Amino acid sequence: MSSENLVKHLPNDIGGTGCSGDKVNIFERDLYPWEKRCHALLDVLDYHKIVNTEEKRRGTENIGTEMAGKLSYYEKWIVSASNLLLQKGLLTPDAIAQKTKEVAARYNVIL
Amino acid sequence: MSKNHHHDHAHDHTPIIIQEKPGYYEILEISVRELLIEKGLIGADEVRKQIELLDSRSPALGSKLVVKAWLEPEFRSRLLSNGNAAAEEMGITIYDNTEFTVLEDTEKLHYVIVCTLCSCYPRPILGLPPDWYKSKEYRSRTVREPRAVLAEFGTLIPDDVEVLVQDSTASQRYMVLPLRPSGTESFSEEELEALVTRDTMIGVSIPKINQN
Amino acid sequence: MVTVEHNPALFKEGDVVRVDEKFPIGHYRVPMYLRGKTVTIVKNLGRHINPELEAFGKNAGDETWYYQVRILQKLLWPDYTGEDCDSLEIEVFEPWLKSIKENEHE
Repeated sequence: MSSENLVKHLPNDIGGTGCSGDKVNIFERDLYPWEKRCHALLDVLDYHKIVNTEEKRRGTENIGTEMAGKLSYYEKWIVSASNLLLQKGLLTPDAIAQKTKEVAARYNVIL
Repeated sequence: MSKNHHHDHAHDHTPIIIQEKPGYYEILEISVRELLIEKGLIGADEVRKQIELLDSRSPALGSKLVVKAWLEPEFRSRLLSNGNAAAEEMGITIYDNTEFTVLEDTEKLHYVIVCTLCSCYPRPILGLPPDWYKSKEYRSRTVREPRAVLAEFGTLIPDDVEVLVQDSTASQRYMVLPLRPSGTESFSEEELEALVTRDTMIGVSIPKINQN
Repeated sequence: MVTVEHNPALFKEGDVVRVDEKFPIGHYRVPMYLRGKTVTIVKNLGRHINPELEAFGKNAGDETWYYQVRILQKLLWPDYTGEDCDSLEIEVFEPWLKSIKENEHE
């Protein structure tokens, strides 16, 4: 793939690109609680037009092809939301750094 | 989040509980949410209330709409001409500012719904979509080889029936109104609703009397 | 149906139009597979904010007509393996649609 195609063809635009051999993995599972919270958070951000749904979609594409391929669905959502809140000046990189450190310590997790 | 309580009451009580040690992305989610609340950009209870709203939506709502449409031709017309109004008539609010559009299968036409660009789905009616609906395989293949994808769901559409793929890309949210199977004339509403599974309303399956 | 006198819809049900072949960057809602294809207008869906602007924080204004369009699968995918009658429908915003002359119809 030429590099210009990485710019013009967004990673989420995959209609018609799949191979017949890649069968649909049909299974059911409940969302993890944090995934549902993430979904609800983005709904709330859209209600207030702090981050609207279309901005969130753009944010899940604009993380680049490698991240778009490796992150799970809601991992992309929270990264998208974080980046958009930073771009809008509503959060700062340092505030996120401080807060994630604090939250990790609360659960005895080392980031 | 308890799943066995009902959601018709006004007070909020869904606790936000972390059971296991959170991973990086969960920590990011907690951090962003707490920062937004601290800054007063969102209310402390808004996410919890939205989770309750999400939990109150499931394919059972869609099944009720389908069965009512099967039984009442006038409701069927209203559902097909204005999905939002018909849903609200049944007490289902379309909370996400989308247009709910119902696609009617016929003897000669079978709809299947996909969102190739993201994961557009009628969440106010069917709840949150299954993982496979959001998967790369389903999204990338359904537009190009719908019959092969349907076959993977055990659904074989006769050659003389048109398969119409609906790629959902903008403000419309689609649900299939499947055909009522023959042999169900004596079925009660509850028995009919049991035939209308989530997958029949996405169009990857069709209602069957003997579901094993 | 919304009618806006000073900004009437360019197309109506049954019109045969071409999806523009162009390459925005940053954000779009017209998949690559549809670009340059000839489609038929099925329904006028009213007006909505152009998602290419909404994606950059525009929450009101710049509404544009958008349409449900249809194309036969065998015209979309030259190697389509399904039936000739199969088709696809998708929503497309007006700035992506170009009228074509009668003699250009396929």
